[in-house]
Amino acid sequence: MIAKDLHKSFGDFKAVNGVSFSINKGEIFGLLGPNGAGKTTTIRMLSTVLAPDSGQIIIGGHSMKSEAEAIRSIIGVCPQDLALYEDLSAIDNMIFFGRMAGLNSQDARTQAMANLKLMGLEERAKGKVAKFSGGMKRRINLAIALMGNPQLLFLDEPTVGIDPQSRNNIYENILGLQKKGMTVLYTTHYMEEADRICQRVAIMDGGKIIAMDTPYQLKSQLGSPDKVTLEDVFLKLTGRSLRD
Amino acid sequence: MKQLERVWLIALKDLKIFMNDRTAAFFFIIFPLMFIVLFNTVMKGIGGEDTRLELHLATQEAAGSLSYHILGAMETTDESLLKPGDPKIVWDKDYDAARQAVENKKLAGFIAFPADFTQALSSGNSTSLEVYADAGNINARAALNGLAGAISSQIGTNEVIIKASVALLIEGGVISPTDSAGINKAVQQMMTGYFSGATNTGASYITFKTDKVGEVVAMNPSNYVVPGYLVMFVFFASAIMAESIVRERKNHTLERLLASSVRREAILGGIFTGAAIRGLIQIVIFWGVGILVFHVDMGLSPAAVIILSILMVIMSAAFSLMLATLARTQRAAGSLAVITSLVLAPLGGCWWPLFLYPQWLQNIAKITPHAWATDGFNKIMVFGADFGAAVPSMIALLAFALLFGLIAVWRFRTSAT
Repeated sequence: MIAKDLHKSFGDFKAVNGVSFSINKGEIFGLLGPNGAGKTTTIRMLSTVLAPDSGQIIIGGHSMKSEAEAIRSIIGVCPQDLALYEDLSAIDNMIFFGRMAGLNSQDARTQAMANLKLMGLEERAKGKVAKFSGGMKRRINLAIALMGNPQLLFLDEPTVGIDPQSRNNIYENILGLQKKGMTVLYTTHYMEEADRICQRVAIMDGGKIIAMDTPYQLKSQLGSPDKVTLEDVFLKLTGRSLRD
Repeated sequence: MKQLERVWLIALKDLKIFMNDRTAAFFFIIFPLMFIVLFNTVMKGIGGEDTRLELHLATQEAAGSLSYHILGAMETTDESLLKPGDPKIVWDKDYDAARQAVENKKLAGFIAFPADFTQALSSGNSTSLEVYADAGNINARAALNGLAGAISSQIGTNEVIIKASVALLIEGGVISPTDSAGINKAVQQMMTGYFSGATNTGASYITFKTDKVGEVVAMNPSNYVVPGYLVMFVFFASAIMAESIVRERKNHTLERLLASSVRREAILGGIFTGAAIRGLIQIVIFWGVGILVFHVDMGLSPAAVIILSILMVIMSAAFSLMLATLARTQRAAGSLAVITSLVLAPLGGCWWPLFLYPQWLQNIAKITPHAWATDGFNKIMVFGADFGAAVPSMIALLAFALLFGLIAVWRFRTSAT
């Protein structure tokens, strides 16, 4: 995936201001930044739901400008919010989004069951999502993004507000997906999370990427990587002032 | 083709959510039916019976006069002999009491023969019948004017014949031209004879010609209660769905759909189709219950009723989409849905038939799709009109649907845009 000089403004506010980066196949790439840094807007542009004002996006060899449809067929998106239908069962949600991703009925059902199993939810397949815990909903949210076997997965803060067990389950699944060759763009506010699973991270602030490297190299810039945390690097680069 | 399949899948998903929600099903189906049962029962007595039209007559002349004979001949003595639609002729013996009754609004009006009626006719002079009616009672006034006109016309015709007959009697030497009393007596006898002749056959003095224009059972309240509440609740049920569309926008499911190869047109189409199918389910249940339980009569053109119902559903679904694109929050969408439904329904004739409203209010009501729909239903189901009479309503509903749909397409946004 290649993003080159992306710009996006909402009125006078420049949400993304010249962002460029690339992700290698099979890599887990972390996009970090304080609130309002431009992470979600960047993901929305990369996932084709928001058109950039300028810049170029190429995913899997397809250009966003001319082949958005081809790009959509190879990406999966797990938004920050629980983008699912709480009045439907888990399996119905999965099948519905699978069909929307272009799967036929049978394949959608097969994949839905496989992904539910991956998330440890196969026994709750027929349960109404509204009755699930926060962690279970997060896992369903991720499982839906896997429908259609995407090559590139956008995960926008997939572990917000859940218990350590569910979070650990999600980490393990992401790492498992990477082993199968999936590429992942991951945004999070949990620095230790990024440090643990991302091969490279980019730190955004004010709509720009202010640092990009492996977690190890970023930490090395502040001192011994064993003693410095990624959070130290983050705070050093983005400052300690509150962001709302 | 793929996008069309997605439209259908989105519609099915919405239907599944709807079916899973028992409360929603209650408010979509059971609640409206409860309203229909309640108002149908309340309105059953109103106009449910075919009250015979009563026309009152009086005279200011004394007994033995020509008007006495005419009234005696016209008065309805045996109501059972009257045919459906024939008016009952009532002779009010006391002229002053009849006037007072009109003043006191106890009587809609009456026709009075003047005090010089016999004298004027016998001497060949003109005279006038008096119509004394409550100005506000248009229908009674019109009927009395009609009857007065009929009596005048009949007397005028008879007068020509009688004059010719008297001339023949004089020419034949039966009556002397100077015998005024003899001539007056002959005129009275002949005039009374003509009026008696009109009633001897049992026929009413005024005859009505009724053309049957449909199998409409007069004044079955269901014929306006069911369509009225159908219009109201189909619209309300659709409008309230705007809230769930806004919820989808807020929880990013629409955005998720866009990221998975679903075009915005397919999303709109799917939501619209789901809303339309829900509306169709409603109208099938409403009409089914209406026909089987309340004996609703679809008049001369059931096809027009069905087309109006479908257009109402389409318009409501388009309104729902438009509302969802205009409202920023779920609460705003819900409030707008309730407010628009509760304002437009009574204004548009859903609670009471539109034809009972004053003309100026009927004109204002035409800004609402409800008024066009109820007007179309009333024309077919209450007034027995044919298909053509409902076409303006159909065109208006289609125009509303297009307007709402275009605004929805223009304003449609996801959380990302």
